[in-house]
Parts: sequence; C-alpha cells; structure tokens
Amino acid sequence: MRKILQISLCVVLASSLSFASEQFAMSNADRAMYEELMENNPADMMLSNGSELLDALGGDAALAKYLGLSEDELPVYLAGFPRYIEKFKMVVSIDQMLQAFMHESGKKPYALKSSDMFDMSSYVKSIANEQPINIDIEANEHMKKAYALGKEVFNTRRGGRGLSCYNCHNPGVVGGILRTQPLPDISAKGNASAATWPAYRMTKSKLATLQKRFQGCMQNALLAVIPLGSPEMTALEVYFTHEAKGAVIALPGLKR
Amino acid sequence: MKRSLTLSLLLGVTIFAADYSSVIEVPDAAKIIQEDLLPPMGVNKMPQGCVTSDSKAIARGSYMFHNLNGGNAKGQAPEGLSKKLPNGKDKQYGNCVACHNIEGAIGGGNIGPDLSGYTEIFVKTGVRDAEYVYQKIADPRIDNPHTNMTVNLTTKLFNEKEICEITSYILSTK
Ligand code: HEC
Ligand code: HEC
Repeated sequence: MRKILQISLCVVLASSLSFASEQFAMSNADRAMYEELMENNPADMMLSNGSELLDALGGDAALAKYLGLSEDELPVYLAGFPRYIEKFKMVVSIDQMLQAFMHESGKKPYALKSSDMFDMSSYVKSIANEQPINIDIEANEHMKKAYALGKEVFNTRRGGRGLSCYNCHNPGVVGGILRTQPLPDISAKGNASAATWPAYRMTKSKLATLQKRFQGCMQNALLAVIPLGSPEMTALEVYFTHEAKGAVIALPGLKR
Repeated sequence: MKRSLTLSLLLGVTIFAADYSSVIEVPDAAKIIQEDLLPPMGVNKMPQGCVTSDSKAIARGSYMFHNLNGGNAKGQAPEGLSKKLPNGKDKQYGNCVACHNIEGAIGGGNIGPDLSGYTEIFVKTGVRDAEYVYQKIADPRIDNPHTNMTVNLTTKLFNEKEICEITSYILSTK
C-alpha cells in the first residue's frame, strides 16, 4: 500500500547534506550513522505501525470515504494540509482531522501528542508521497488568516532570549553556523521542511512531526513552548507548508 | 514596537464549531505567547565601575559567554556564579559562542561578528567603546531594530552586574 521512496529520499537527503559548510554539520560518527540509517530509516517501522492503526479504522479506503473522496484523489488532497474543513469550521492539520475521523468511526481519538497519533498521522501524510505540496492559502478567509497568523507567530520575538523563529530562519543567516550547526533553509525546494517532516530524528531516536520539531526549536531557543494543535501551531504549520509549496513530499524524512 | 499579537486575528481563528470542540484538540496558545513577548527596549546605561580587570569577574563573564546553561556546562562554575537558580532550575548562560567566535571558542558560530582581539581591533581604533559593548549585550536593538542577536537585559536573562562581567571578558586581554 505504502510507496517506499528509497530513491527520491536519497536525493533529498544528499542535497540536505550538501550545505556550504558541511564539515560542521555532523561528526564523522554521526555521519556514518546517518548513512547507515539512510539505507533503513527506523521511521519506516513507525509508519507501518501507523498504517496498521489506520487499517483498524478501515484503512485508506475508509479515510477517503470519510473525506468524501475516491481513493485515487486522496494523495493530492492530503498534500494540501493544513486545510480549512467546512464541517469543523476551522483550519486543521492531518492529526486533528484524524481525531474527528476516529471519533466518527466510534473510536476514542488518540491525543495529538501520543505516539500512536504520531505514527498514524505520519503514515497518512506519507500517502501523499511523490505529490508536490499544494496548500492554498488563498482558498478562503480562514486560510488567509491562518497564514497571516503563522507568519506573525514566526516573526514574533519572545522568550528568555528575545528571539523569533525568523532570527535564525531568514535568508540572511541560512547556512550560517550556529554552534556547529548550519542553519537550514526551511524553504529550499527539495529540502523543504514541510515535505520532509514527519521525520526520524537521529539525535532523539524518535519520530517527530513538523509541529513537534517547532516545539524543539522553541525549547532550545527558550521561547515558551506552545501546545500541538493550538491555532498558533497549526498556523505555523500553514506558514511552513506554504514556504515549501511545490516541493515533493518524501516521507518519512531522516534528520540529524 | 509590536507589543501584542493582533488579538482580533487570534480570536478569529480560535472560534470553531462547538460539536467538534470535544473531539478535536485545539488548546489555547494565545495567552502563552502574550505573556512571553519581548518588552520594548529600555534605557540601558552602563553602570559606574562596570568594566573591571578583576580576574574573578572576567572568569564569570567567560563562563557565561561560552556556555548554554548550568545543566549543560562542563566543569565547576567559577566562584560567585551558580549553575542553578534559587528555584532549582538550571541557570541560563549567554551561549554567545553559538553565534560568535572569540579566543578559545570551541565550535564558535558565525551568525554574529568574530569578537576575537576585540579591544585591539575595535576599541583602540575608536570604532567601538565599552558603553557600546555593554548596551549591545543588554539589548542589541540599540543600533539595529531587526537584529538577530539575543536580548539579555530586557528579557531579565541577566542582570546589570552579569552584563558588566561579560563586557569585561570581551574587552579583556586573553
Ligand atoms: C537560536 C536559533 C533558532 C531559533 C530561534 C529557531 N530555530 Fe529552528 N533551527 C535552528 C537550527 C540550528 C536548526 C537545525 C538543527 C539541526 O540540524 O538539528 C533548526 C531547525 C529547524 C527546523 C527543521 C528544519 C528541517 O527541515 O529539518 C524547523 C522546522 C525549525 N527549526 C522551526 C523553527 C521554528 C518554528 C522556530 C520558532 C518557534 C525556530 N525554528 C526558532 C535554530 C533556530
Ligand atoms: C543568535 C545569534 C547571536 C547570539 C546568541 C549572540 N549574538 Fe552577539 N551578535 C549577533 C549578531 C547578528 C550581531 C551583529 C549586530 C546585529 O545584528 O545586531 C551581534 C553583535 C554583537 C556585538 C557587537 C560587535 C560589534 O562590535 O559590532 C557584541 C559585543 C556581541 N554581539 C556580544 C554578544 C554576547 C556577549 C552574547 C551572549 C550574551 C551574544 N553576542 C550572543 C548574534 C548573536
């Protein structure tokens, strides 16, 4: 059922390694581990678990039906999240949509931060593998607002060190070295964050979603961590996803 | 100064149909962000007797410059500097080396200028003075409202004395 993207994945990873200052990116030991994991991303297992969890709800077919789509239409539709869903009257990420789907299938929804939800929502996003991200921030007022809010959250200086996301993720500093780590270009086509998360995070030995990764930066940079699924988090995801529009989804990613 | 997120915007997005509110998790973050905002810049005059050649003060400045926080810092903290806050949490340090190279830096970054040989290169040439260094660390918006540098006094990450110690370290001969 799930397309394995060994080849395109390798291309994405190879390009993410070719930062100008790549000698800083990883120690030799880390690099060796990374190359090994590229052959066999541990997140594949978590996504297969997610696939089984979805099967228990009727699988891809039931999900497509719930969304009013044919199974063929599912990948393109999923490549457009977060999106405004009329029935919910709000902009939702895939995990929130799945909470409603579970509820309406008579199951208690997994909590957003549960590992089952990480596995299942990551699997569901991977159904869109090979599709270019097609989020439409002009689709309606709700999407416009969510994008504007995401951009504002991204640019807001706060926390113990008075930093915003923008301070470390702007064109002027991309590729610059922050404590031995090159600052990533979050909108580089082919290495776009929204197309490569959820990912297996080597340094944490865990599968993480994009929102979870946002929390990581908040924690590191001393910004108060905001909860998964809050309108501001979803809005940040909208912002990042729009930055990556057109990038081909290749999941699960593999990150340092 | 952008002191508050556009509240109307936040409210607009927060409102959702009641039927799904018990099903879909949509926790509130607006309040967390509101309370976390960076205050506007105050007047940060360098205190009297700020810059010192006292080796103990310089050692504390150096430690704060090179380390992220008390939990992560290796070795003993220098005399007069704690690794913990009174509430038991790790004390945060400057982590300046994340962005700046300086004498003895391990893995110094290059987001900010290299601060090696600072007094020779910048102060003796009349380009900079101690007041500038102090104010820049206190709140780097002083000469650049869009700075990518961390804010250290306005955020209460450090107090004036600690900023003086870091300033003294940068200006010292190493
Ligand atoms: C002090 C600097 C700093 C700040 C502030 C910061 N980041 Fe980051 N961010 C980084 C660094 C460095 C990395 C790469 C770390 C690595 O390679 O593990 C990164 C990586 C990321 C990634 C993963 C990129 C990818 O595709 O793998 C995302 C997403 C991200 N940051 C989002 C954010 C958000 C959202 C905020 C604000 C809430 C933020 N960052 C604030 C330094 C920062
Ligand atoms: C996230 C990156 C970052 C961190 C962390 C950081 N700085 Fe900076 N620093 C900068 C940048 C960028 C500049 C350039 C000026 C500007 O943009 O405001 C700068 C400029 C300076 C200057 C002025 C240099 C000159 O003469 O022009 C001093 C002094 C300085 N920083 C000290 C510090 C100290 C001390 C710390 C830690 C408490 C620190 N910086 C932490 C990024 C950073």
